[in-house]
Amino acid sequence: MTVEQAVASAAPVREEDGLILDVRELTKEFVLHNIDGRSVSGLSGVSFRLSAGEHIALAGTSGAGKSSLLRAIYRTYKPTTGNIFFTLEDGNTIDLVGLSDQEVTMLRGRQIGYVSQFLRAQPRRSALDLVTRAGVYRGMGRDEARDMAATSLRRLNIGEHLWDVHVSVLSGGEKQRVNLAAGLMSPPRLLLLDEPVSALDPENRESAIDLIAELSQSGVAVLAVFHDLDAISRLATRIIVLEKGTVTRSGPTDHILPSLTVGDVQP
Amino acid sequence: MRGPSPIPTPDPVLTVNGLGKIYGRDDAGTIDRTGSDAGSARDPITGAIVAAWDVNFEVAAGEAIGIVGESGSGKSTVLRCIAGDLEATSGDVRLSTHMEGRSNVLLADPATRRRMRIDQLSVVYQDPSEGLALSVTAGGNIADPLTAAGVRSFAKIRERASELLSRTEVPLNRMDDIVRNFSGGMRQRVQIARALANKPRILLLDEPTTGLDASVAAGVLDLIRGLLEELDLAAVVVSHDFSVIEMLTNRCIVMHHGRVVESALTDQLLEDPHHPYSQRLVSAARA
Repeated sequence: MTVEQAVASAAPVREEDGLILDVRELTKEFVLHNIDGRSVSGLSGVSFRLSAGEHIALAGTSGAGKSSLLRAIYRTYKPTTGNIFFTLEDGNTIDLVGLSDQEVTMLRGRQIGYVSQFLRAQPRRSALDLVTRAGVYRGMGRDEARDMAATSLRRLNIGEHLWDVHVSVLSGGEKQRVNLAAGLMSPPRLLLLDEPVSALDPENRESAIDLIAELSQSGVAVLAVFHDLDAISRLATRIIVLEKGTVTRSGPTDHILPSLTVGDVQP
Repeated sequence: MRGPSPIPTPDPVLTVNGLGKIYGRDDAGTIDRTGSDAGSARDPITGAIVAAWDVNFEVAAGEAIGIVGESGSGKSTVLRCIAGDLEATSGDVRLSTHMEGRSNVLLADPATRRRMRIDQLSVVYQDPSEGLALSVTAGGNIADPLTAAGVRSFAKIRERASELLSRTEVPLNRMDDIVRNFSGGMRQRVQIARALANKPRILLLDEPTTGLDASVAAGVLDLIRGLLEELDLAAVVVSHDFSVIEMLTNRCIVMHHGRVVESALTDQLLEDPHHPYSQRLVSAARA
């Protein structure tokens, strides 16, 4: 599909909606060529909409497709069928499914942020450098990015004595906070969070949760996977429950939350 | 064809289209009888080796693309055809630095191609003896491309050589030692310094850390990554090592028996490889 077709087939987006993400019938099948060519279903027809300032928490048992959905939207997984309409900064709507790899690269870190529970790749950098680069990547000047990186790191209680230390030697919780600081630099329009607070001690967890809440208030659309109900109750405006790769229930947090069990938020 | 995209992407500095390299006698059926599906790069009828065929990609400034695949997959062949070390059998390669990309450099005469290597496009080889004169000093190796570019002042050459050696973290007191007496990692740093002497826009890296000890390789990789970011280079990284590709590139292509079997975002290739060969390669690397 060309970009024009993607734009044309998208529903007209009314400005006042503030619609950021419109996922329609998204499926993901993994074909395992080297294990007798079998096919494993990750997502089988997921649809939902997410607007600016909204925070949707994904719930569901282990293997329900929560992380797969985040990865498919970020294009770490290549969706099999369906559409992921995303509203750009300039108001244009594009289908992330049909974008070229270069176009995806341009959106990542600039308009779409992703923070996972693990710090992937690039461990041989200092914390300050890693967070600063996230800002530079998003188009900030180096000095401006550095100042903001310092603010974010302070905000997440990463002491200055750790700023020039290689991230690889930091503790799990410190890494996760550095990762979060990098993901939050110059907030994207859409933030995908995969268990961003799971390795944090209570105090650091609080500052991370406050920061995520502030981002939502500033208009960032958040789609998140948490594995505790407390974080969901404090951050989410809506909950989508997945089961075997499809949405089984969704609604405002206070409607859905009472019916969730610990089993619904297992990694 | 795609229309104009609402997401502007930077113009390519290097564009490769339909690049191919065949050794030996081929005929009209050779291409069909070789490649990933055929299971070999060698034509069973004519004996021709199709080392690379129909390779396409483009790279913008500040971007690095990876070429992965096992030994013999054709990845170094592609790099060497672009660099002019090997004569391509077919294809179209354009550099934005050469006649603003209006001319296929594969058709340029040898003298023009040599000039491109002075200040537009550089190569860092796995084996430093390919990119350096081992019996010459570190400073002399860097002076070579500078004089080729017309720098005559001895003081200027020394100044630029020291600048490059400090940037690549080679102790300045080794500048007048011959390269043969350097360690593997240090030779690689000198090779990188020499490659960057005349500020090329394109850097081709062929297994730049293969054969180095893990800790030394990590240091050289850090250096390369820093340089790619800082100098806004368009880079092509050939490696069989996914950790190198993951660290340096955003996008990559996978080659198998001379053909590109998959092109993908690097994280996508690692998490969701599609082609059977890519899946084998990734699962072997992750084991």
